[in-house]
Formats: sequence, C-alpha cells, structure tokens
Amino acid sequence: MLSANSLRVVRSSRAVLHPNRLLTNRLSVTCSGHWMSTSLHKKDTWHSNFNVTTVRTEKGLFYSTNYIPSLRNYTANQVKLNCWNCSQLFDKKPTFFCMSCKVVQPPEEGTSFFQIMDCDCTFTLDTQKLQKRYLQLQRSLHPDNFSQKSAKEQEYSESQSALVNKAYKTLLKPLSRGLYMLELQGMQLEEGTDSGADSHFLMELMEINEALDEAQTPEEANKIGQDTKGKLAELTEQIDAALRKGELQAAKALLGQMKYYANIDEKVKEKLSEFM
Amino acid sequence: MAGTVAKKCLSPLAFLTRRLSAPEFITQCCYHKKVVDHYENPRNVGSLDKNSKKVGTGLVGAPACGDVMKLQIEVDDEGKIVDARFKTFGCGSAIASSSLATEWVKGKSVDEALMIKNTDIAKELSLPPVKLHCSMLAEDAIKAALADYRLKQHDDQQEAARASI
Repeated sequence: MLSANSLRVVRSSRAVLHPNRLLTNRLSVTCSGHWMSTSLHKKDTWHSNFNVTTVRTEKGLFYSTNYIPSLRNYTANQVKLNCWNCSQLFDKKPTFFCMSCKVVQPPEEGTSFFQIMDCDCTFTLDTQKLQKRYLQLQRSLHPDNFSQKSAKEQEYSESQSALVNKAYKTLLKPLSRGLYMLELQGMQLEEGTDSGADSHFLMELMEINEALDEAQTPEEANKIGQDTKGKLAELTEQIDAALRKGELQAAKALLGQMKYYANIDEKVKEKLSEFM
Repeated sequence: MAGTVAKKCLSPLAFLTRRLSAPEFITQCCYHKKVVDHYENPRNVGSLDKNSKKVGTGLVGAPACGDVMKLQIEVDDEGKIVDARFKTFGCGSAIASSSLATEWVKGKSVDEALMIKNTDIAKELSLPPVKLHCSMLAEDAIKAALADYRLKQHDDQQEAARASI
C-alpha cells in the first residue's frame, strides 16, 4: 500500500479543507520559564492570513508563518495540538480526553477511521476487536455521560460519538471498508455507467436478479443467498490481495462487483422476509 | 410498500398536518409522483428475443449504486422502433428512467432515438440531483441497445454480401 506518505498528504489536505478549524484555538505558544504563554483562542486573530507563531520543539524554537500552504507540511505529525481547557499538549492522536484535566476534546481533523478505532489500515480486520473498541469508546464518549457538563463539552461529546458511530459502521462491512480505503487514496467508484463492465458479468447479474424475483419458495431464495454469500467471500479475498499489493485499480473493479452482489444479498433478505 | 408511502405523501390531509416550515422537507421525503407512477404501473416490463436480428439489447450497470438495467428494442424493416422492453434492478428512479425510455423510443426511428438525452428524462421525472445518474444510465442503455442492433444489421449485411458472391 502507498501508505505513510500519501496518507499523510491526503490527511493534511483534508485538514486544509477546513482552514478555520485547522488553525484552531488550540495552537499555542509553548512556554518555558521566561516566556508568556498565549493561546490564540479568539477567532478574530485569524483575520489576516499571516500570523507568526513561535513553536517550541525538542530541537529548540522555530518560527513558522502559519498561512495555510506552509502549515500543510507541518500538520500531520509535527504540529501538536493541545487541550482547549488547560492547554496541555497531546502526545498521541487521536486524543479523546485530555490527560491532565480529563476534559473531552473535539474531533481532530484528518484522523482516519482506522486511527479512531485503533486498527491497522488493512482490509482484513478483526471485527471482534473493532466491536470491543467501539463499545469502549462509546461508554466514555456517549452524550448521555455529559448531561451535567458544560454546553461545549456536550457539543464535543456529540460530535465525537457521531464520528465513532460513522467509523464503526464504515469499517464493519468489507464493502464500505474497502471503499473507504480507496477514498483515503483519493479514488472513488464512478457515479455513472461502468463502461468497462463485462457484458457476460452483467448478464449473469441479470439472471440472478430475475431468478430471485421469480423465486416461489424460501428454499429457492436461500439457495441464491448462499451462492451470493460465496461470491462475496471470494471477492473479499481477492480485494484483500489486491489492496495488499497496492493494486488500486484492480481493487476498485472488484469493489464495484462486490456492490452488485451486496445489493442481491439485500434483496434476498427482503424476499425471505416476504415469505414469512 | 412504495404504494402506501406514495398515498401517505400525496393525501391532502397528510399535506396539511405536516409542518410546512422547511420546503425542502417535502420534496426530500417523497419520490416525485411520476416516478411513483412508473414504479406502480410499469410499462413495457419484459424481454424480447435477443437472438432475433431485429432486436437490439442494451445491458448496462452502475457500480456506485449497484443498479443493473436491460433495455431491448425491436426495429422493423423501415428502421422504426416498433417495440421496446426493459428490466431494471435498482432504485425507483432507475426503474422509472428506463420505463420512460422504453415509452419514448417507441415509434421513433433509430436515429431519432439516439437523440434522447438523459437531461430530458431527468426533467420529465423531476429527478433530484442525487438521482441524475439514473437517467444517464437509461440514456446509456438506449445507446447500447441501438449499437447492438446496428452491429447485428451490419453483420447481416456482410453475410448477405458474402452469400451473393
């Protein structure tokens, strides 16, 4: 997979799409004994694009002008975010709660679903682990836990909880997971007609759909369901192999095929429920 | 199921009791009544004999939504489309688009049918932006059917030429 570099570019470019949120009030001047610590909470400080901040790192002070293009290079890993409440610097991402004041944080731009759910960015995924992580996160992030807290915290917990829901739903199913992985690489399935589609393949799909439509008994529908599930399992393996090798076009074509079979799978469920 | 939804949407009482504050709420929650009409009273569903020299078959698919559409036309000796059938597996808008397409091609010549645009279909059915690709699919299906027919005719002519030698 074209992992770290392209991912970083994609992530930081996504962050750039919301420049106001990127240059949040959490970027601050760090302090040593003699320096004033100012955190730039007010939004009106950003009315001009050019502002100079000093950021202290392990290596010493350096000045960066944080108009968007140059900052893009620093986003993903180097610029550290800090707590909106106590200005404590975070050392890892994603950070849901501040380490020192324990207050809930808003979602960070450019964090992938895989990072949120603490999973490797691969097509094969341990769904048990995913579910555990999901429950663990919602136990602490769910808005019900924040009914007595400040409006800001409630707002942050809502957006975090919703994001975790979205991440879980996307990563749970192979089709959405694969499509998300393509999206991270900047690829999407075409909206319109698939000009490269094999007519034999489409014919086959037509026949399966027609057979399902005309199925008179649950057994017939079940048979089609079993065949479809078999096809989906086969495609899952092929997509995994393609993504591992970084063959994005092949993966995209296979995911397109998977979409058709996933639709048939849904129709089988509907048909079976009609029989009941 | 779409029928009951449609009736709920279109009945005047429901219209009055629903909050009219957000106009987009109304358009978003219902399929347009023309789409519902095609869904409940589909015209020209079925198949024609795909082996016949007079029949052109267009088979298209859209991977993003997983819709499959088959459109067949039967052309007489004067080059006029006398019959058309479709079979679509997909959303209501896709079904309506292909149903409308079969209605429109009937009675047209092969060249006239080529001029049918997806924008006309979308306008007729008042398709929302997210469903515009369904009308594109229908246009592509018409073109694929016509291309298939042309190919068969071309092969036919070549065969006839060879036979007369």
